[in-house]
Amino acid sequence: MTASDDALPAPLTTLTFDGLRRNFGRLPVLRGVSGTVESRQLLLISGSNGSGKSTLLRCLAGLLSPQRGTIECRVEGKLLDVEDRRRALGFVSPDLELYPELTTLENLEFFSRLRGVDPLRGGELLDEIGLPRDRAAGALSSGMTQRLRWVWALLHQPPILLLDEPFQNLDKNGRADVLRMLNRHLETGLAVVANPDHLELPHVASHLVLGG
Amino acid sequence: MSRPISSWAAETSAIFAKEWRSELRTRYALNTVGLFAFTTLVVVSMALGPIGASPEARQFLPVLLWLILLFAASAGLPRTFVHEEEIHTATALRLAARPVSLFCGKALYNLTLILALELLIAPLFAAMLQMPVAHPARLAVVLAGGGYGLAIGSTLIAAMVAQARARGPLFAVLAFPVLLPLLKFAIEATLAASLGETTGATLSLILLYDATLTVASLMLFPAIWNP
Repeated sequence: MTASDDALPAPLTTLTFDGLRRNFGRLPVLRGVSGTVESRQLLLISGSNGSGKSTLLRCLAGLLSPQRGTIECRVEGKLLDVEDRRRALGFVSPDLELYPELTTLENLEFFSRLRGVDPLRGGELLDEIGLPRDRAAGALSSGMTQRLRWVWALLHQPPILLLDEPFQNLDKNGRADVLRMLNRHLETGLAVVANPDHLELPHVASHLVLGG
Repeated sequence: MSRPISSWAAETSAIFAKEWRSELRTRYALNTVGLFAFTTLVVVSMALGPIGASPEARQFLPVLLWLILLFAASAGLPRTFVHEEEIHTATALRLAARPVSLFCGKALYNLTLILALELLIAPLFAAMLQMPVAHPARLAVVLAGGGYGLAIGSTLIAAMVAQARARGPLFAVLAFPVLLPLLKFAIEATLAASLGETTGATLSLILLYDATLTVASLMLFPAIWNP
């Protein structure tokens, strides 16, 4: 047996951020935030309102540029640029909406075509999470909308999940359903969760507390 | 990560199809653009009458036609991106679509919208104001070339406006310098086509403007969409 046989396999996906700073005007929101997370791990982020949890997730998603600091994302060993990082992740956020005039299935078929995913997968995920296929997204309840956000985020089986308040508006069954999906994702992927609800989460490798 | 052209085409066609599907459900742009153009045309026609019958007044007809098209386009085309920000779908789009595919899909939608508008308004305008059309084919080419520039320019400006807070006045402020050369060439070429004069030189300028604006838009759009 060689030394390399003993070593753990290299993680498929890693997300590392170092010294992230972001101000809004003169207001500093992120003040040198650092962390790392890899496949099969969950990084939990907590903090009071306005502490920068959502801002950190938007920076990690490539939706917002940090004014200082670096973000490095590797999938199967390959370093991704910001455009590829955006497309490689699944994102659940209260700010994210789908097209209200399209049905749930039409929304998912549209994004399947954008992501090059089998268009049948959207329908399968809708059935799994118990959402109607033919109801307009704008006619869903808040809890159903949150379930649809989860389905949208997992549509392309992303290696990275960024979850901002992922359990809001979900009932007990809804939480159980999405936790099952999260567990399945964490068999290979990684997740960063901004979770103000103090729920028990699986595979928590580290806990980042942001100051208010 | 480079992607094949088939992937780019699939994304562009997906966005184009989604735009029309959403539009046919809500009919916001169709109603706004169509109603604005038709109302303006009726007002102009009622106020001025068939001025095309007078040789001195004919030179003003292309100006009126392009003003109607410009303002109708300004009323509906900026919605392509502004609406995405207003209903918070822009985040999903930013994460799923390549910027170039997104721009091409939206621009293609705006182009079909403006070509449909021209198809509806230009014959009515010619009939109601008795505009002479010596070379219908040339006029059609001028309208298509001008409409293309209007669609590409409006799409790019709409993307800029969508990022701002004061969206209403901003479109007019940004559109004025970008679209002014196009309107000047389009008016000149429309007049030449309607009077049976040669349009070659002015049409070349329109096509050059269209090509320049397309290249500039494809280069600028990723930075505008993901600031």
